[in-house]
Amino acid sequence: MDRLDSPPKELVVTCRSLGISESDLVAFVAGDLDDAGRYGEVWFALTSEELLVCKAHDPTRERAAFAAGNSDGLYNIERIPLDQIDEITTENLVGNGFLVVTVSGEPRRVCQFTNSQARKFGIFAKVAEKARKGEPVREEDFSDGRPAPFCPRCGRLYPEPERAICPHCMDKRALTLRILSFFAGYKAHIAAVIFLMLAGAGLNLVSPYLGGRVLFDEVLNPGGRYEGRVFEAVVLMALFNLASIGISIMHARINAHMTAHVIAGLKTQVFSAMQRLSMGFFTRKQTGGLMTRVNADADQLQYFFHDGVPYFIVNSLQIVGIVTAMLLLNWRLALLVLVPIPLLVWFMNKAFPRLWRLFSRRWRALRSLNAVVNDALTGIRVVKAFGKERQEIERFGRRNQRVYDVSLQTGYFTSTFFPFLGLLMHSGGWIVWGVGGWHVLEGEITFGTLMTFINYLGMLYGPLEFMTHIVDWWTACINSAHRIFEILDTAPEVAEKPDPVRLQPMQGEIELRNVTFEYEPNKPVLKNVSFHVRPGEMIGLVGHSGAGKSTITNVICRFYDVQEGAVLIDGVDVRDVAVADLRSQIGIVPQETFLFTGTIAENIAYGRPGATMEEIIQAAKAANAHDFIIKLPDGYETVVGVRGQDLSGGEKQRIAIARAILHNPKILILDEATASLDTQTERQIQEALKRLVQGRTTIAIAHRLSTLRDADRLIVIEEGKVVEMGTHEELEALQGVYYRLREKQREALAIRGVAAG
Amino acid sequence: MQQQDQHGLSEYVDIRYLDPATARFSETPGGFVRLVIGEEESYPRVALYRAFPFSFPDRYISVRDMDGNEIGMIKDLNEFDEKTAKLILRELERRYFTPVITQIESIKEEFGYAYWDVRTDAGPRRFTVRDMQSNVILLSPEHVLIIDVDGNRYEIPDYHKLDARSRKYIEDLL
Repeated sequence: MDRLDSPPKELVVTCRSLGISESDLVAFVAGDLDDAGRYGEVWFALTSEELLVCKAHDPTRERAAFAAGNSDGLYNIERIPLDQIDEITTENLVGNGFLVVTVSGEPRRVCQFTNSQARKFGIFAKVAEKARKGEPVREEDFSDGRPAPFCPRCGRLYPEPERAICPHCMDKRALTLRILSFFAGYKAHIAAVIFLMLAGAGLNLVSPYLGGRVLFDEVLNPGGRYEGRVFEAVVLMALFNLASIGISIMHARINAHMTAHVIAGLKTQVFSAMQRLSMGFFTRKQTGGLMTRVNADADQLQYFFHDGVPYFIVNSLQIVGIVTAMLLLNWRLALLVLVPIPLLVWFMNKAFPRLWRLFSRRWRALRSLNAVVNDALTGIRVVKAFGKERQEIERFGRRNQRVYDVSLQTGYFTSTFFPFLGLLMHSGGWIVWGVGGWHVLEGEITFGTLMTFINYLGMLYGPLEFMTHIVDWWTACINSAHRIFEILDTAPEVAEKPDPVRLQPMQGEIELRNVTFEYEPNKPVLKNVSFHVRPGEMIGLVGHSGAGKSTITNVICRFYDVQEGAVLIDGVDVRDVAVADLRSQIGIVPQETFLFTGTIAENIAYGRPGATMEEIIQAAKAANAHDFIIKLPDGYETVVGVRGQDLSGGEKQRIAIARAILHNPKILILDEATASLDTQTERQIQEALKRLVQGRTTIAIAHRLSTLRDADRLIVIEEGKVVEMGTHEELEALQGVYYRLREKQREALAIRGVAAG
Repeated sequence: MQQQDQHGLSEYVDIRYLDPATARFSETPGGFVRLVIGEEESYPRVALYRAFPFSFPDRYISVRDMDGNEIGMIKDLNEFDEKTAKLILRELERRYFTPVITQIESIKEEFGYAYWDVRTDAGPRRFTVRDMQSNVILLSPEHVLIIDVDGNRYEIPDYHKLDARSRKYIEDLL
């Protein structure tokens, strides 16, 4: 059985001496902080009768003692009988947590652990509680339904705890092959590109030979084979150049066509994959960044395949070709010329990364400067109202100074770096001129050979420089590809069953049965929530913000799956219902209305694309939206959304209601639908809502309790639990949580009245 | 009327500072903190929060009961006797567990994630940071806060004071 951690050998021996065998251990867990708050080791062992706290003051010393065959007293073991324990819990703090054991009414901090261990200790506490109550401990108690957060192969934490991808162990070759597999449909294109590249590289190699050996030795040299035929030589050189350019144009065009096509397809794939994913994926931390990076990642791939790969091939061919040609022409001179090359490569390898780092630092400084500009200009009303122009100028000045500093650093660096690089490059030239020139005088080589060498050498530097950063480029490309694949490969957590139950039509009966739900491990948002809603009933969810009201609607819509208990609609577990049936018959009017870029009519008909114009107008009328829409210059064809006409909050809200009316769901969720509106608008929307809720099961969340007047029953939620349930009158009479909430709101309203007067 | 309002408001905004003369903190047998104020008020266990964890770690400390209601604030720990101050500081350091990085052995970046190997005042530690742009935070021109993938926190109060190699690692990040 999985027992969280496996005990070290020494401890097993020590336990045995206490009469506890390994099979007695129900759970075993290792903490990573000692009593003094330093990183250390503390073990907890749980048997069916007691909790053992095993502390080792100096693990290395004790391991050594154990190795020496002395296993007595290695551990300071404290045994707490379970029947003396009132409660075992964990407490989450900042950057760490406690395991708290209450013994005879006195809470005791038995151990501190870093956040990395929080999950494990949460499970341990849960298991220990079960053992304490004498309940049987089962295999599934050792899991919180989440995969292990570390790589089983190397033990490294996954950079994203929710995604089992270890950047260290992931198969880079497989990734590369997978990227290349996108190009599988372009075999003919690839063959053409490679052929053209080879031809181009060959032509490139010939040019220096023509311009050196042939021109100087055979054409310009008295007694040369083609003496005096300058015109033909120049035409030939021009032709070669033209051919080489023609070839590179051709392969660049084929390549551009191919990469653009592949990347466009990839982007569509990624976007459809994202649409398929569950809500949890989107709300999880960091995924926001992941999403916005996707497009940039696809572009990165495109650049790499458009520029990187072809240049890599061309440049490799060029380097090999040039070196071979030089060796063939004169191997001794060639070897001499190549002497400074390793030095050059070393220098470039050393200096270029520093240059990129400086550039990215400057880029970051610029970005933070832009943020200040953006802040001050978008918030100009606030700046002016508080008279803080001077302060903003100072803030700008500070960031600007940083940009200046980094720019200066970059400037200094480049102004030294590039001349030095040039110097190194020239040093190869000096050798050729010096040694080669001497050879020419000696008559060992011709002047043409010397010129050919000089030309070849000049052609070598570009490709060499390219090679110094191709590895980084490749790494970045793999990284981008990896992120893209992650999205492509993420399976939606809320997946439909293979043979789902069809609920067509839905009655609208809702039941929550002992629902426990947490977004993050050990932080339950809903605790054992149960209630039943009859078809057509209107329920108001009441409670402080953060009590778990919106979460309840989230699990009813099955945006998330609950950890314990079940959500039933028409008596069927939502996990068994066809997702399409669920979505088509549950409607939401959220607090923050989102309108897509498009016309008002399109927005109203979002849930039912085939709706007729009459239906759209009827829905708008029911939502009290028709009148204001008609008054707009473009009527129902007014473009709204991100780049469209600005509507007020109330107007958007009414469009959202019209959308819900047309969608005609059996279950309607109103999530603070009227919270951000003024009283006049609210009244209009209340009217609209009244029409909307008819004949539907409605769950309404509202801060202002007065807006829940029409609810059949109210459910009061506090800290994730149902604390009161009943009609308005019943709850008033109870004089409990609801009553106090109402009192508070009345007071608040009275204060506002005073303030307004 | 105006005055009455003012009075009503002050009930909400006035800070109740705990008086060192009457507020007595002590350690429970279980290692937590108990508070007794004067003769009547007694809390078997209190939780302590810092209002300004970075700038004023030992001032403006909110003392709350276990339901999260504020009992009062400690204006400055130095007002209390040494033993009490020590007890409270230890409790605070437990809540805001943030080891101070004293030396950076290495930071290896792989595929956008950084693997740190450091020495801290709580011992050597390896941890993983994702998205260094947003998880390595410059709190002031010299104070650096680092948050790892599990939400563990580490700080460098003044990175200029680190050894040259460690400093270079940080400078390259900022």
